[in-house]
Amino acid sequence: MPSILERIKEFGRSLRILVRREKFARELEEEMRLHKEMKERELIAAGVTKEEAPFTASRQFGNTTYLRERGREIWGWTWLEEFWQDARFSLRVFAKNPGFSGTVVLMLALGIGANTAIFSVVNAVLLRPLPYKDADKLVTVWGCDRPKGFDTDLVSNPDFRDWKSQNHVFENIAASTDAMYTMTGAGEPAAIIAYQFSPEFFDVMGVVPKLGRTFLPDETEPGRNHVLILSDHLWRERFGGDRSVVGRSVKLDGDPYTVVGVMPPSFQYPSTTELWTPLTISPQSANDRGLRYLRVMARMRPGVTMEQARKEMNVIAARLKSAYPDTNKDQDVNLVGLRQLTTGDIRTALLILLCTVSLVLLIACANVANLLLSRAVTRRKEIAVRVALGASRMRVIRQLLTESVLLGLAGGALGVVLAYLSADALVALFPPTIANLSIPHIEHIPMDAGVLGLALLASLLTGAAFGLVPALEASRMSPNQSLKEGGRSETSSSRGRQVRNALVVSEVALSLILLIAAGLMIKSFRYLIGGDMGFQPNGVLSLRVLLPEYRYKTESQQRAFGNELVERTRALPGVEWVGTVTFLPLSGWWGTRQVSPGRGTADAQTPTAIWSSVTPDYFRALGIPLLEGRSFNEQDNTGNMPVVILSAKLARQLWPNEDPIGKTVNVEGLKEPRNVAGVVGEIRDFGPAGEQRPEVYLPFAQVPSALICVVIRTAAEPATLAAAAQHAVWSVDKEQAMSFVMSMDKLAAESLAPQRASMILIAIFAGLALVLATLGIYGVISYSARQRTREIGIRIALGADSWGVLRLVMAEGLVLTIAGSAIGLIGALWLTRYLSSLLYGVRPSDPLTFVTVAWILSTVALLASYVPARRAMRADPVAALRHE
Amino acid sequence: MQRDEIPPGTLYLLILRTLARSGEMHGYEIARSIQQLSKDVLQVQEGSLYPALQRMLIKGWVKAEWGVTTENRRARYYRLTAAGKRQLEVELSQFERVIGAVQRVLQTV
Repeated sequence: MPSILERIKEFGRSLRILVRREKFARELEEEMRLHKEMKERELIAAGVTKEEAPFTASRQFGNTTYLRERGREIWGWTWLEEFWQDARFSLRVFAKNPGFSGTVVLMLALGIGANTAIFSVVNAVLLRPLPYKDADKLVTVWGCDRPKGFDTDLVSNPDFRDWKSQNHVFENIAASTDAMYTMTGAGEPAAIIAYQFSPEFFDVMGVVPKLGRTFLPDETEPGRNHVLILSDHLWRERFGGDRSVVGRSVKLDGDPYTVVGVMPPSFQYPSTTELWTPLTISPQSANDRGLRYLRVMARMRPGVTMEQARKEMNVIAARLKSAYPDTNKDQDVNLVGLRQLTTGDIRTALLILLCTVSLVLLIACANVANLLLSRAVTRRKEIAVRVALGASRMRVIRQLLTESVLLGLAGGALGVVLAYLSADALVALFPPTIANLSIPHIEHIPMDAGVLGLALLASLLTGAAFGLVPALEASRMSPNQSLKEGGRSETSSSRGRQVRNALVVSEVALSLILLIAAGLMIKSFRYLIGGDMGFQPNGVLSLRVLLPEYRYKTESQQRAFGNELVERTRALPGVEWVGTVTFLPLSGWWGTRQVSPGRGTADAQTPTAIWSSVTPDYFRALGIPLLEGRSFNEQDNTGNMPVVILSAKLARQLWPNEDPIGKTVNVEGLKEPRNVAGVVGEIRDFGPAGEQRPEVYLPFAQVPSALICVVIRTAAEPATLAAAAQHAVWSVDKEQAMSFVMSMDKLAAESLAPQRASMILIAIFAGLALVLATLGIYGVISYSARQRTREIGIRIALGADSWGVLRLVMAEGLVLTIAGSAIGLIGALWLTRYLSSLLYGVRPSDPLTFVTVAWILSTVALLASYVPARRAMRADPVAALRHE
Repeated sequence: MQRDEIPPGTLYLLILRTLARSGEMHGYEIARSIQQLSKDVLQVQEGSLYPALQRMLIKGWVKAEWGVTTENRRARYYRLTAAGKRQLEVELSQFERVIGAVQRVLQTV
């Protein structure tokens, strides 16, 4: 066995021959000439005549051309030389038919471009490694309360402590909780979303700051915990990217904090956070198992799988259940991978899109294959001549495949350009401002080696796929036959026609499937847009204010601010109703409390509701209907009886068959029992695609909150009121920060971003498929009509009327369309169920969509065959008979 | 005159052996030499000789240099390389093994 080194040397030698192959060929020839001459002389010496000698020598020597080529084959570069020949020849062929080549390249570019674009998004969102060390070892650990339907619930500190000390599956485990600060001392007062991290959190995630350090172990203690780490974004925006920022003092909620570090831009976890402070466990929360407020992240030990970790954590949970039945009776543990957590809302949509674009590419392939097949017939003579001159079948196939692969590559190159140009539009479909969805922040979609590699692979595979059938088909015929036919190459084999028809039928079927998918998506999206969220978002401006604890220490201060703000805002021109709410619907922020009927205490059956403190006009401002009883009013203050308003759903859960008005409820966290004053309609807090959750409303005057979201209903365009509303806040407190000043319409639209994006993209791709399929039908029918010119001429000459001809030609298109549609409908019935997680208010087998789409496709297909049929109908019989 | 084809696989061996004995030869001389030494029994087809020489060049078993014949004609002379000498040993032992085996088969009564 030759060693690797010898192999390399050998390759070097043949490479040298490749580079100087003309010289080597000349030398070989000279060598053989010498040989022949010597042979001649030998023959003469042996008695052969001088005249005979050269011929005898030649005979003995054999075919010199063949020998020369054998010599070249031994150099091992024949394939390359032949490929080069084929490539040059192909380019000449393309240049002679620019229309044909252009059409093919454009079709492929659309197909491959769509695939590249979608794959680049998939790559950016789902495939690129998360910017953390061994990110697949990172899991988020949640509480899981099945009876209540919580699968990613927050965790109490004692539970966390026990998880940490008892598990053997995690290398490290850390806790965090969200926080909001008012930052002063660096520009305008700003409400900053922050996270409190336990110091080991950064170690768990395996990140290091780009400036300064992370938290020290003792920086969780009160008195030492006034340190913070900036995100790259906040550092650039508020501190101008100042590298000497470490050590600087910044005021959070009025207290001085020292900047100890700045994280790199790649570290943005959780994605909305602007800065991090140390997590200090307060004495109250330290041992309260019912107080669940921590988010937990862990790094699995090497070799431990998610399943093993989940199993062991639930063993620990089971222990805690029996030890603390009061609080932990139903508490299991759920593990969610980090990637899954950050891409949950978008993953399915992206995978479905990926399938969609590959179908588009298949259609494009079928189309191009058809074009090549029709053209192969016109190239029959050329191929026949080649075969007659000694080209092997393999060689002919190789030549034709080279052509199609080159077309594929050209299409791929153009496709990559198209994908690159569309990247910005794709980013715009997934706006990074969305705070209420788990969509990863995509700042840009990179065209990295993976994406380009896939585009290349797609181009090569497509080239081979659409080229193979025509190449096999073309190389199959006998040269004798073709040459005999001379110029009359019109009689197409029935086999060729079958292949072409099969391709068109599959195109029609595939595009019907895509069109039905698009139809369902559009219908579902219209349902969502028109969908009733239980409130009227149009004409409403919202803004969010968080009163910092250091300046609003007491409830009465919060109450005074809220009332004052409502008064000032109501005085603004054009304002109809003003209300405030703790957790604004669609904001992605919410809080829950258990609500139990009567004076009983909460147990596992007690419903958990989303709660909010609202001012009296809130329901009118947002347009939530009052169903029973009364709304809150000015009298519902601290001096009067504690009241509560329930959503219809919660009321039904508490008293399925009784009138709730006047009944008493206990709301978790509030001491006094409260009287039900009214029942309002249910709303969808999380947008039209979200579910209705039970809601409990408290009067702001009785239960004020530090978080105040203002909703302003106006007759004017809400955005025009933004500046005035902001000044209203500052007129109450000039140091108060606010955020998310935006119309409810915009919030509603953003909450539908993934649905909108997938609807738009699927619709575009289905449209593309329709165009391609139409072109396919048109191509096949006009080709077949041209083939039948003579037949049609005879028919007309024998007295067929033009309608007969029209019917004759269109019947062919009709048969293909019907066959394709039938297969497509069956395929769609089978495939659209995978869409169901993206569909709202429409079944995957929605008959109306199926029928409408099939009708549209058939109409378009008939039109596509009408054009060539008309041409055939108008044919002059004399010209038609002379045709050929 | 009965002329036999060269058994497959032995052409390399014959060329290597011929070159090992005489040092430097051009293609015609190699063919002649094999033919004469075999008493005209082995006939080297030119159609096999030159491809074989090309392949041996790439394998690095022989080196070729242009020289001049005694009659002052330009000719390409082949010469064994160190690798070629090693290859000769390999091919020889392989050949002997095969021939030995064949003989054993034939001699078994």
